[in-house]
Amino acid sequence: MYAGNATSSRRICGALALAAAMCSPVVAAAQDGVRDLAGQPARPLTVTAGTSATVLVFTAVDCPISDRYAPELQRLRDAYAPRGVRFWLVYPNAGEAPSAARAHAGAFSYALPVVLDPLGTLVDVAKVSVTPEAAVFDAAGRLVYHGRIDDRYLDFGVDRPVPTRRDLAEALRSVIAGRPVEVPETRAVGCAVVRTQP
Amino acid sequence: MSTVGVLCSWRRSCGAALVASMLFPQRAPAQPALVAPPPVSASQRVPSADAAPTFNQHIAPLLHSRCGACHRPGGAGPFSLLTFDEVKRRAAQIAAVTGSGFMPPWKAAAHAGGFVAQPRLTADDVALIATWANAPIEGPGAAPAPPRWPTGWYLGTPDLVVTLPANYTLPAEPSDVFRIFAVPLHVNRRRYVTGIEFDPGNARVVHHANIRIDTTDGSRRMDEADPSPGYDGLMARSAEYPEGHFLGWTPGQIAPLVAPDLAWPLDPGTDLVVQLHMQTSGKPEAVRPRIAFYFSDVPPSRTPSILRLGSQGIDITAGDGHYVIADRYTLPVDATLLAVQPHAHYRATLVRGTATFPDGRTESLISIDDWDFRWQHVYRYVEPIRLPKGTIVAMHYTFDNAPTNPRNPQVPPQRVRWGQRSFDEMGDLWFQLVADGDADRERLRGDVRAKMTAEDYIGLETMLASAPDDTELHDDAGVTALALGRPADAVGHFRATARRQPESAPAHYNLGTALTQAGLFDDAIASYERAIALRPGYAVALANLGDTLASAGRANEAIRRYEEAVAADPLLPEAHNSLGAMLWRRGDLDRAERELTRTLELRPAYAEAFFNLGHVAVRRKDIKTAVTNFRKAAAASPGWPLALTTAAWVLATAADLDVRAPFEAAQLAERAASLTGRADPRVLDALAVAYASSGRFDEAVQTAREAQGKASGSLAKDIAARLAMFERREAFVDQR
Repeated sequence: MYAGNATSSRRICGALALAAAMCSPVVAAAQDGVRDLAGQPARPLTVTAGTSATVLVFTAVDCPISDRYAPELQRLRDAYAPRGVRFWLVYPNAGEAPSAARAHAGAFSYALPVVLDPLGTLVDVAKVSVTPEAAVFDAAGRLVYHGRIDDRYLDFGVDRPVPTRRDLAEALRSVIAGRPVEVPETRAVGCAVVRTQP
Repeated sequence: MSTVGVLCSWRRSCGAALVASMLFPQRAPAQPALVAPPPVSASQRVPSADAAPTFNQHIAPLLHSRCGACHRPGGAGPFSLLTFDEVKRRAAQIAAVTGSGFMPPWKAAAHAGGFVAQPRLTADDVALIATWANAPIEGPGAAPAPPRWPTGWYLGTPDLVVTLPANYTLPAEPSDVFRIFAVPLHVNRRRYVTGIEFDPGNARVVHHANIRIDTTDGSRRMDEADPSPGYDGLMARSAEYPEGHFLGWTPGQIAPLVAPDLAWPLDPGTDLVVQLHMQTSGKPEAVRPRIAFYFSDVPPSRTPSILRLGSQGIDITAGDGHYVIADRYTLPVDATLLAVQPHAHYRATLVRGTATFPDGRTESLISIDDWDFRWQHVYRYVEPIRLPKGTIVAMHYTFDNAPTNPRNPQVPPQRVRWGQRSFDEMGDLWFQLVADGDADRERLRGDVRAKMTAEDYIGLETMLASAPDDTELHDDAGVTALALGRPADAVGHFRATARRQPESAPAHYNLGTALTQAGLFDDAIASYERAIALRPGYAVALANLGDTLASAGRANEAIRRYEEAVAADPLLPEAHNSLGAMLWRRGDLDRAERELTRTLELRPAYAEAFFNLGHVAVRRKDIKTAVTNFRKAAAASPGWPLALTTAAWVLATAADLDVRAPFEAAQLAERAASLTGRADPRVLDALAVAYASSGRFDEAVQTAREAQGKASGSLAKDIAARLAMFERREAFVDQR
């Protein structure tokens, strides 16, 4: 899955992407410094065959709002993985130890592949600033949505008992159907991503 | 003059106050470290104009004292904020949440005298943090050492620690979970509680705790009925605050111990009831809080009173964005306010409480602009607030049931009425008050209870409007109507239950009780007989049937029913007492004395039994014994004007000078007069007689005239005769 390098481009026309009727060049974004839990370089944004969309979900080992989304993320994965959506759980905070991320992902029963993003490369590409925040890339590798998972949290201390709009799911439905994402950017509420190495 | 009492209804324990109560310091207490941020010196806080703030000099002292109690390893906060690295990582976030007021979590506007345990940041503090966050410098020198927080209980070594019997497993969702636990408190004798400390165990998910005590098995049975630890739903009505004290916990708040003279009594057999509000973490969590108790062995000399203002008639239409409730109360006595606790659910927005003093000045007691259901603080004043008699305490709250209110739990909004479930609405402001003396306290307690019971009834009617077939609500409404002296309404509610549950013996028993109070003796007798037919040997029904027969003038049948009640349950003190009273009425003094003595063996502080024994002695012309028993009756029930008045009368008028005690008589009668608001001519008559007995003839004349103005018939004539004696400076001696 590490085919090509960070700047290579190639044509990908996965079966599901045909509905989009556009087989545009995929520009695989920079993925410098991204590591899996074993410390090996990882390239979550490198689109593989059969992928209709790639979702990066940014989280942290010590962010209560992120944690409360764990069950919702499992549901989204269960609903959309069979439709070609690949989910990645990204721990972007500088200084986050792989062992802590592993323990955290295990405690919350995440069945998603996990990467660390200590240099913030994915944070920049996905244009996110907090955890939890999601970014959706289409089959061509273009960022088509970034922001909140849903509208449950309006601010710190202001949240709805149930969300009224599930933005991430809406975006995925649009991408799978080959439609433009209606609301491509929303404001996420959560814990600021830590960028600098302490 | 026998007291033939109607027994309390089966749903409530006899004598249990309808008034809930609550825990606070009398004056600025020694505050435990968790809740007492030490002052930060000015030199630490204010950087000079050209120097940038540094962590070591400016930020660390501030964060250690204001945030560290929760944001430290093992604290309630999700991450630690003690070291430079920890704080720098989150500098932007800290600046944002302190700037918005989300942290530290404290909803109320500042109060002039200050609130206990308020982790406040001043506007300067917030600005300082924001400046530093832009350029997070560690600075010269070393960081100050963080405060040393206690490793165990903040309040010291407890006398008793209670732990939930087993872990409760909190699921990963939904976001807010409420669960109630009943735990037995193992004390082998009466203890006096000066405070409790709540350890959430899993501070990440336990958001706040409502704590009550239950002297009945009501809560325990509800807990046991649910196979896993605790139960869902509402707290039992029998779960109450200890009289005069708030109990509860929110993160960062530990109520300091009260002075021993304000402790509350805890008797063996009491259960602790803990309702946990938990916010799920996203994964299953084990929850097992512990509660520490601190005891004193000295009986308290003072008991606070709890006043609740609010509306239980709340009825908000869907979409109404500005619904207002208001309530007020005029204090009948001087009192000191120790604390307030606002309570509302999700849709409340603005919370206000004020005091308007007799001089017209109005002071804010509590002011919250952005009510958040999740922060159910008790606000304790550093300096208790003096509220003179005549002070008007008031509250007004607003509610937003519009779709634009994100906290609205119903999407789209629905019509919402008052109710205790979290999706219903409530709006209460609780006050913890201390009156100056026992007589004032009784006066306040009675007055407040009447006000709150009337509001309780409105709440029950509100709930019945949406659930007219709920027999438990009808039963509660019936009991409450009886307490309000509205037996006709009680009859309606108990009839509703009996109609829906024709085979329920308690339903017919309750109906009989209400019918008796409504004076409908024949119907009452029929209801009791139905109850007894459904449940043979139903002792309380037999005893009450006896009372009703006695009231209907059927003395022989009454005695037979009392005897059946005693046979069915030899341990029922009310039955022995009523039987004793009836035997007294028939002149069977020896048997009466035996029954009343037995009553007191079963219930040692039974005021009515002492009172009845006093009358047995009067009949025997044994005034010494009578006085002893009337005194005990007055001591057992210091808020019972009849006992006080009778004791005063005998002490003032006894022909036997060894018995006569004019000074004590005047004291007792004054207390009775205060309790009855000087409105009862019999009480004023006794007071006048007591003054005359003490040689205070001017006061006797004045009080007798006051009594005369309120009396009629033969009483008026008697008072007039006595008034003439007092004017001649003669005391009245009862020659009976």
